[in-house]
Amino acid sequence: MRRLPLATGAALAIFTLAAPLFLERGTLNDVWNLAFAVILASAWNILGGFAGQVSLGYSVFLGIGAYTTVLLSLKGVNPFWTLPLGAVLAVLFSVLIGLPAFRLRGPYFTIATIGVGEAVRVTAASASFTGGSSGLRMPAGSFDFTINYEAMAVLAIVTVAVAAWVKRSAFGHALAAIRQDIDAAEALGVGSTRFKLAAHALSAALVALAGSLYAINFQYIAPGSVFDFRLSLSIVLMPIVGGVGTVAGPVLGAIVFSTLQIKLLAIPALRDSYLFIYGALLILVMLYEPRGLFGLARRLASRLRRRPAPPPEATRAL
Amino acid sequence: MPSEALLSVRGVTKRFGGLTALYDVSFDVAPGEIFGVIGPNGAGKTTLFSCLVGAQTPTSGEIRFRGERLNGLSTNAAVRRGLVRTHQIVRPFRDMTVEENVSIGAHFGAGKRRGADARRRVADVLGRMGLSARAGALAGTLPIGDLKRLEIARALATEPACLCLDEVMGGLNPAEIGAAMTLVSEIRASGVTVLMIEHHIHAVAGVTDRVLVLNFGEKIAEGPPHDVLKDPAVVTAYIGDDEEAAS
Repeated sequence: MRRLPLATGAALAIFTLAAPLFLERGTLNDVWNLAFAVILASAWNILGGFAGQVSLGYSVFLGIGAYTTVLLSLKGVNPFWTLPLGAVLAVLFSVLIGLPAFRLRGPYFTIATIGVGEAVRVTAASASFTGGSSGLRMPAGSFDFTINYEAMAVLAIVTVAVAAWVKRSAFGHALAAIRQDIDAAEALGVGSTRFKLAAHALSAALVALAGSLYAINFQYIAPGSVFDFRLSLSIVLMPIVGGVGTVAGPVLGAIVFSTLQIKLLAIPALRDSYLFIYGALLILVMLYEPRGLFGLARRLASRLRRRPAPPPEATRAL
Repeated sequence: MPSEALLSVRGVTKRFGGLTALYDVSFDVAPGEIFGVIGPNGAGKTTLFSCLVGAQTPTSGEIRFRGERLNGLSTNAAVRRGLVRTHQIVRPFRDMTVEENVSIGAHFGAGKRRGADARRRVADVLGRMGLSARAGALAGTLPIGDLKRLEIARALATEPACLCLDEVMGGLNPAEIGAAMTLVSEIRASGVTVLMIEHHIHAVAGVTDRVLVLNFGEKIAEGPPHDVLKDPAVVTAYIGDDEEAAS
């Protein structure tokens, strides 16, 4: 039973990596979008799900990766070599905001991250080196979608693997302790600020890498695309809908989310109301299944398995 | 004795705005001692406790642990130096098993154990606290008696030099108080110094070497429990608390 998640993950990983061999470009684009969503959701979940620190400012790290890549490519650097630098800058920025913001708890932390995100967007839109609100275009040159696709697929697999490793490690246990009772965690020697900063930095680096690949793929970025608050919101919605704090939940959430997005954007009448649909979905999940779709699936599975025997819940249902 | 004290509190005062919660409190706890801090409600016991384990910084005065100044050090840093506390109202990680709860202490406390080494420590502590049979149970499903032992087990797993117990006797019946006193003696026998804060004098009298009595934030007596209990100032302080005044 324990091997099942690993086998499913491996099958998904192989399918994603091999997809260019048998999928046409349009469908491959959808899988690229899916991998991108999986990275954002799973990386956010390391801080937001495992450690319970709900940040609504993750577009900042995406933007840092994207802008680092475009700005350096314009100076003649090979785009792929800009990826590590974008990740390093995102890590530094995550520590810079984390040091003051992690002194705040619960909703106050979340509000602070919204403020940081908006401040960064406004700054990027008004600065001259970022090209202002009209954004920047990548230098013209050879661009291979298959390479970008494979890089995104590998990054998605690495992100999920890192999340799975974190969850089982002592680091992950410290994050779980922080989520459940930060004062009790401190009273057992857990340096909560240090662990929150580490989780923030790790997820920021992964999101920045995805941001760099995003910029290379779309060849054009603007504050309104990569620093968008709606993007930060989507990053939070995916893990919550899928199942916050689990490894599979954010992946499931990303699959549902990107599928919905593709379908909804294809219907002109729904183009502008998709946030309304996500909002409704979020409320439904929070009210009826706080553990998300993954929690719902697990509950159904355990109910099916117990079907032959008389359900023990019958007495507990009172 | 001051030179060899494990924990040394010198002239500690704590003010919250205009309220003086602690005034000029001094005492020493020697290694291997069971030291009690008692006093009526609002005497400043909890404030003293918070100053010791880092949640509060004293307004003035000094707290030294193994010769090192603790004022202003964070709670987690104090734990890693061997000074750990329990909470009067238990605070288990409810979504973790009993074993995982205890392993947090083993991983991140003064022992900083990993892997098999940490698992051995956890199994040892669970055995000593009579929780082995509950190792795999989610903490949220335990009855209160087990939760109280889990609270102490987690603290012990950090491998403290000094364990600070916050009213562990509170809400226990006489038989349970007897068992708790045995447990405290066993903890001391394993080489851990114990500082316990209690509301009820008699619960502590049987197990402590020395007690300190606080009243309105000030020290009114210190010494072996049976001498302190006869102290007129202590008797006066407890009048109105009918259970204690009756004795």
